[in-house]
Amino acid sequence: MSPEPTNANGVAPLLDVRGLTAGYGQVQVLQGLNLRVAQGEVAVILGANGAGKTTTMRAISGMIARKGAITFSGDPMAKRSPDEIVRMGIAQVPQGRGTFTDLTVEDNLRAGAFVRKGADIEADIQEWFDVFPRLRERREQKAGSLSGGEQQMLAIARALMSRPKLLLCDEPSLGLAPIITQELFAVLQRLNAERGLSILIVEQNANLALGIAHSVFVLETGAIVASGTAEEISNNDAVRKAYLGY
Amino acid sequence: MPFHIRESSPLHWVLRIISVSALAALAVYIASDSAPSTLGKITEACTLAIAAVSLNLLLGFNGQISLGHSTFVGLAAFTAGYSVNAWHWNPWVSLGVACLVCFVLGLILGLPALRLKGPYLALVTLAVAFVWPTVARKFLDQTVKASTLKGMRLRPPTWTGLSNNRTDRALFLFWLAIVLLVVTYVIVRNIRKSRIGRSLVAVRDNETAAAVMGVNLAITKTVTFGISAALAGVAGWLAAAQLATLDENSFTILSSIKYLLALFLGGAATLAGPVVGAFSYFFADDLLKTNATKWDFLPGPLSKGPVASFLLGVLVIVFVFIAPYGLVGFIKLQARRVAVVIPRPLRAAPLATESTEHISPAVAGEI
Amino acid sequence: MGHLLQYVLNGLARGSIYSLIALGLVVIYRGTGHLNFAQGEMALFATFGAWWINDHGVPLWLAIMIAAGGAFVVGGVIEFGLIRPAGKKSPFAVVVITIGLFQAFNSLSGLLFKGAATGLPFGTLFPNKPTDFFRLPGGAIWRYEYVGVLVTVLVITALLFLLFQKTKVGLAMRMVANNPDSAKLAGVPTNKILMLSWALSASIGAIGGCLVAGINANVNLGTMFGVFLLASAAATLGGLDSPLGAVVGGLSLGVIESLVTNYPKSWWGSTYIGADTAIAVAFLIILVVLLVRPSGLFGSTRVERV
Ligand SMILES: Nc1ncnc2c1ncn2[C@@H]1O[C@H](COP(=O)(O)OP(=O)(O)O)[C@@H](O)[C@H]1O
Ligand SMILES: [Mg+2]
Repeated sequence: MSPEPTNANGVAPLLDVRGLTAGYGQVQVLQGLNLRVAQGEVAVILGANGAGKTTTMRAISGMIARKGAITFSGDPMAKRSPDEIVRMGIAQVPQGRGTFTDLTVEDNLRAGAFVRKGADIEADIQEWFDVFPRLRERREQKAGSLSGGEQQMLAIARALMSRPKLLLCDEPSLGLAPIITQELFAVLQRLNAERGLSILIVEQNANLALGIAHSVFVLETGAIVASGTAEEISNNDAVRKAYLGY
Repeated sequence: MPFHIRESSPLHWVLRIISVSALAALAVYIASDSAPSTLGKITEACTLAIAAVSLNLLLGFNGQISLGHSTFVGLAAFTAGYSVNAWHWNPWVSLGVACLVCFVLGLILGLPALRLKGPYLALVTLAVAFVWPTVARKFLDQTVKASTLKGMRLRPPTWTGLSNNRTDRALFLFWLAIVLLVVTYVIVRNIRKSRIGRSLVAVRDNETAAAVMGVNLAITKTVTFGISAALAGVAGWLAAAQLATLDENSFTILSSIKYLLALFLGGAATLAGPVVGAFSYFFADDLLKTNATKWDFLPGPLSKGPVASFLLGVLVIVFVFIAPYGLVGFIKLQARRVAVVIPRPLRAAPLATESTEHISPAVAGEI
Repeated sequence: MGHLLQYVLNGLARGSIYSLIALGLVVIYRGTGHLNFAQGEMALFATFGAWWINDHGVPLWLAIMIAAGGAFVVGGVIEFGLIRPAGKKSPFAVVVITIGLFQAFNSLSGLLFKGAATGLPFGTLFPNKPTDFFRLPGGAIWRYEYVGVLVTVLVITALLFLLFQKTKVGLAMRMVANNPDSAKLAGVPTNKILMLSWALSASIGAIGGCLVAGINANVNLGTMFGVFLLASAAATLGGLDSPLGAVVGGLSLGVIESLVTNYPKSWWGSTYIGADTAIAVAFLIILVVLLVRPSGLFGSTRVERV
C-alpha cells in the first residue's frame, strides 16, 4: 500500500493536488495530502468522520487558507479565490447541501449560473428540470420547503449550472434514506457516463462509493493512506476491515 | 518562555496585594492633593465605571446586549432624588430603594429579552432608552411641579471628621464613589467566579447546550438582567448625589452608548475591562475637551470648533484596530509574554457531569 | 373620516422616509449581520453635502444626486477600509467602529458646515406654498410636498426591488444574505457584494436625509437622530433581513406616529400627548409584535444548532 497516489487510467490528471496542508486557526487538519482526478473519471475519497474530507473539499474550492500545489487542467490554483476557481470549472456541492433556502428553486439554479453570461442559461434550467422533474414541479417554491432528497438534487443541479468540468460532492448521502441515496448515485453515475463529467465524491458509505468509483483515496487524519482503483481498494484487507466491515 | 504563576498561590496573592495597595495608595494620594473639581471628575468617572461594570455582567458575561442601561441609571437617580426631596427619605435608604426599583424593571425588561436575540434586543433596549427621558419629563413634572428635580446632598457623617462644606463634601463623595465602585466590582467578580458565573457564560456561548446541561435559561437570563440593572442603579444613585439638579436629558441613549464604549474600550468579558475602559474613556474625553481647542496645528476647519468629539470618534476607531479586545485584552496579551497565570482546576462542577453526547443529532432522514 | 384620511396620508409621507433609512439598514444587515449605528449620521453628513453643493449654485435635485453619489463612494470606502478589516479582529470591533463613525460624522458636520448646530435652511424639493394641496373627500387635504416625498420614496423602493429581484447583482446580494458560503461556492465575489451593500445603503440614506431636510426646510446636527431611531425601529418591526419588512415597518410606524400624535389632540383639544409619546406608543406596539414574532413581521428565523 503506497501513500503515493496512483492514477487509475494513467491519463494526465484534471485535478492534481500535491502536499496540501490546511486547517482552522492554529489547528492543522490536512497534513500534506496528495490526490489526482483524471479527466472523465469518478474519484472517491473515503474516510471516517473527522478525517478531514470536508476540509479537503473546502481547501480545493479556496474556501479556507491552504498551502501546497494544486493544478487544474495544468493551471496552478492554490492561490485563487473561490469565485476564480468556480470560473476555472470546479463546482462544489457542499456538505449539508447548501441550497439557498430563501430563494425559489428556479432562482437557486440561476444562482448556480452566476459565473456565466448569456441566453443559454434559461435553456440549461429547462434541461436540468428534464433531468430532475421533481424540481420543475416545485420551481416557484422556496428551496427551504423541499425534502432532503429534493434539496440534494437541487444542490447538484445548481452546481452543474456553472457548467463545471469537475464536480465536487461532499457526502451527498448524508441524512438521506437509502433508497434516495441509491437514486442519487445513479444520477451521478449517469452524469459521468453520458456527459463525461469528472466527479470527486466524498463518502463515509464505502459500499455505495466503491460501486461507482473508478479510483479511490482513503483519507485518515488528514493524509491519504491508501489509493488505487475501486477494485484494488475493495481487495485491500485493511481497508475492507475498516470501511466495509468484513 | 513566560513565567508561570499558579492561581491563588502565595506568589499570586503577593502580586494581588501589591497591585491593590498601589491602587489604594494612588487614591489616597489623589484625595490628599486634589482640588474639588478634580475629585468631582474622578467621582464622575467612577459613576461611568459602575455603569460599565454592570453592563459587563449582562453583555460581557451573559451575552445580552442592552442599550437601555441609561434608563436604569436615570431611573435610580430620579427615584433617589425624588424620594429624598419629596418624601424626605434618608438618602442611604434611597440607595436601597433605587436599586430595588431598578432590579424590578430589569427583571421586567429581561422577560422580552428571553425571546429576542442580538440586534432585536439591542433595538428594543434602545427604544427603552429613547422613551425614558420622555416618560420622566411627562410623569415626574406632573407630580413634582418643577421643571427639574433637585439632586440630593449627602452630608459627610461625623465619624469621617469631614465638615459640610464644598471641599469636604467633594472629598467625601470621592471616597464614597470609590467604595461603591469597589463593592460593585467585587459583586460582579464573585458572581463571575461562582458556579452561577459559569452558567452565565455557558448561556452566552451556546444557549441550547447550556439548557441541555441543566441551566435554567429563563431564570438565569432575567435575574442577570435584574442584577445588572440594580448595579446600574448604584451609578444612578451616585449621579443623583453628585448633581445639583437632575435633568432627564442627562440619561439618554448617548449615555448608554458611552457605557458601551467604555466597556468595549476596556475589554468586554474581562473583570477589570469596564473599569479601565471607563477611566480611559472619561479622561481621554476630558483631555480632548479641555485641550483640543488650543491645538492650532490641526488643519483647516479642524483647528476651530468642537473638534474634541470628532477626535474622540476617530480615536475610538483607531483604537479598535490596535486593541480589538480592549485595553485589558491588549495588556493581557502583552503580559502573557512575561508571565502566565495558571487557573485553578475547577472543583467538581455538577454542570459538567451531563455530557453533551446525549443530544440526538437532528438530522432528518426525510424525503 | 376626513381627519383619519388626512392623518394616514401625512403619516405615510413621514413613514416612507423611515422606510428608506430602514432599507439602508436592512441592506447592510442582510449582507454582514451588522447594525450600522452610523446610518443616520452618515446620511446627515451627505445631506449637509447636498446643502453645500446647492449653496454653490447647483440646482437642489442635482445636488442631492451628487451627494448620493458621494455617499455611495464613502460607504464603499468605509466597508473596505474599516468594517472589513475590523470584522476579522473581534466580534465587537464592528459595533464599536459604527459608534465611532456615528460620533465622527456628526461632529465633522459641525466642524465643516458653519451654522450646522443651529440649523441651515434647506431648499424645498416640492411645491410647498400654503395653497399647494389636493382636496380629498371629507375635507381632508393632501399637501403636494407629502405626495412628492411618498412618490419619490415609492419609486426608489420599486427600483431597489427591481435591483434585488431582476438583476444579477441583486441575485448575488440575495445569495450572500441567505447563505454566504454557498454564494462563494457559486462564484460570487462576496467581498465586492458587501462593499456594494454599504455603498448602496449610504446612498439610500443620503436621499432619505435630504427628504427629511426638505420637509423640515432645515438641516441641523440633530435632524437624523430621531429619524434613525424610528427607522431602526421600523427595520426591527419588519424584520432586519427583510426589505419588504423595512417598507411595511416604516410606513406603519409613520401612520401610528401620526395617529397617536393627532387623534388625542383633536379629541381632547390637548397637546398632552405629543410627538414623543407617539414614539413611545409606537415602540410599545413594536415590543408586542416582537414578543409574538421575535424576528419581526417578515424576518426569517434561522434554526440554531447545538
Ligand atoms: N470550522 C472549524 N473550526 C475548527 N475545526 C474544525 C472546523 N471544521 C472542522 N474542524 C475539525 O477539522 C477536522 C476535520 O473535519 P472535517 O474536514 O469536517 O471532517 P470530515 O468531513 O472528514 O468529517 C475535525 O477534527 C474537525 O473537528
Ligand atoms: Mg464532512
